[in-house]
Amino acid sequence: MARFLLTHAVTQGAEKHPQHEAIRFAGQALSYAELEQRTNSIARALIEQGVRRGDRVGVYMNKSLESAIAIYGIMKAGGAYVPLDPFAPVQRLSFVIQDCGIRHLLTQEMKLAQVEEIMRTPVKVECIIGLETAIDHRPDVRYLTWEEAYQTPNQAISYSLTEQDLAYILYTSGSTGNPKGIMHTHRSGLSFAEWAADEYGLRQEDRLSNHAPLHFDLSTFDFFAGAIAGATTVIIPEALTKFPASLSRLIADERISVWYSVPFALIQLMEHGVLESRDLSALRWVLFAGEVFPTKHLRELMLKLPGVRFSNLYGPTETNVCTYYHVPEPPVGDETIPIGLPCANVEDLVLDADDRPVGRGEVGELVIRGGVVMKGYWGQPDRNATCFYRRRVFNDFEDIFYRTGDLVQQDENGNYRYLGRKDRQIKTRGYRVELDEVEVALLSHQGVEEAAVYPIPDNQGSNLIGASVILKPGSLLTEADLVEHLNNRLPSYAVPAKIFILDDFPRTSTGKINRRELQAWALQSLGN
Amino acid sequence: MDRKTALTQYIKQEIMRNPNAKLQENDDLLSAGVLDSLAILQLVAYIEEAFGIKVPDEDVVFENFQSINALSQYLDGHN
Repeated sequence: MARFLLTHAVTQGAEKHPQHEAIRFAGQALSYAELEQRTNSIARALIEQGVRRGDRVGVYMNKSLESAIAIYGIMKAGGAYVPLDPFAPVQRLSFVIQDCGIRHLLTQEMKLAQVEEIMRTPVKVECIIGLETAIDHRPDVRYLTWEEAYQTPNQAISYSLTEQDLAYILYTSGSTGNPKGIMHTHRSGLSFAEWAADEYGLRQEDRLSNHAPLHFDLSTFDFFAGAIAGATTVIIPEALTKFPASLSRLIADERISVWYSVPFALIQLMEHGVLESRDLSALRWVLFAGEVFPTKHLRELMLKLPGVRFSNLYGPTETNVCTYYHVPEPPVGDETIPIGLPCANVEDLVLDADDRPVGRGEVGELVIRGGVVMKGYWGQPDRNATCFYRRRVFNDFEDIFYRTGDLVQQDENGNYRYLGRKDRQIKTRGYRVELDEVEVALLSHQGVEEAAVYPIPDNQGSNLIGASVILKPGSLLTEADLVEHLNNRLPSYAVPAKIFILDDFPRTSTGKINRRELQAWALQSLGN
Repeated sequence: MDRKTALTQYIKQEIMRNPNAKLQENDDLLSAGVLDSLAILQLVAYIEEAFGIKVPDEDVVFENFQSINALSQYLDGHN
């Protein structure tokens, strides 16, 4: 049976191994057959409520079994699921809902207070599934409970959807200006999920964690690559993600075999998750993405989990994952590990500042062509015109590459090294500085736990460099100590004008360091 | 000051940064987003300092931190 929609894996799973567990959450489970039936019902319910092919349907829920039912149900109805961060402020949620014209919302009773607030804003939501009672001030909206939706017949829908249809839209965490909706089709979603299921040898016996929220594209591995393999996806409750000791216990109890998360979660597990007292014998792969994994922490973790293979996945949300690097052994030294080789079905190209391909081994911006590339940004024709690089093929058609905005350099083994954001290279006093290089230099100090470096514009067209660090517990390092450390490693113009020592960093909703907020705070502190 | 009151005050002042926040002893500290990973570490540090009770990593689990009551019960068990 052909697989060209993300939902096919569930349908095929229900045929091949209907009783096998597809999804688990807090000790409860859904078999492939149950998942297939429930998602069919939800899809029919949505269509009855007016969802048409291409419609955007919001998912505003905390993690639960329903998370999986929601995303597949929406896609089966021909819609694209739009995950709304369950912890985002109402204003931001309202923006996303209005931006892509969401008319139907899947939610839960526990989100009632926030949904009520959202519905006071000028959103055009006309149907809400998941509340027990109607919202007083909105009697015009149609309401269904989950139970009522499940009453809908659960036969498969014969719908002429194709791989080109929209599957989901992920809004960026908005650390720069307004969030943008990244449109992915079944084709681009499957391109990643199929590559991943193959590359990591996923099998039916595997048990994948789902740590990432639905609005973060790491979750597409957990659900879609898992379903392709007929494996079990274990959804982790948000509360547990804050308690490394609870999280490690779940990994052991649920016999998780494949883990995928941002490095931050892994570092927390390593430092506070008492890994030594957990039976992690089922774990065979640890995948990480989203941010650079500081080499010293990665080394420590790999030494703690000798039987496990580690893999670094790289790619902006616009391309999901486009390169990968299996870490061969605990890395020595401080050099950041490579982002590796391009995935199958991807063409990689490195361009200089004038959009000309660079010579092999030279630094330039990575641009990516292939199955995994997004369709474009929702409702942003200007952005869509500039974010792609087009290469003419004969006179007849163009190859379209997505500009990652990341600077890379290929090493002698063909592995790419990530050098930083194109906009992470700044000019200070006439000199060009790689801000990420300064971060690495700070991290090389034993007493430094985390470091973030950012430009401080000086209102004269140039920049100063600012840094914020979190020290290891018990460290008594001062700013002067750190400056001395850097003076021994960097040219003087690259040493930050100011280093703030903080207890914690602001983070985005996907756990990454929010450098922009640090920068804003620094500007304020310095009275700029 | 008893422990529950001290904990409540600390959480309101240092973590929620709002001394007038509404926080009952049975309120769920987790789903409201009151506690994040860093706040939990802060709280553990405070407990060790203020009550002289060492909280091992394996006890920093969500059952013990779900509410001020839960936390207090855990600490009573550790005297």
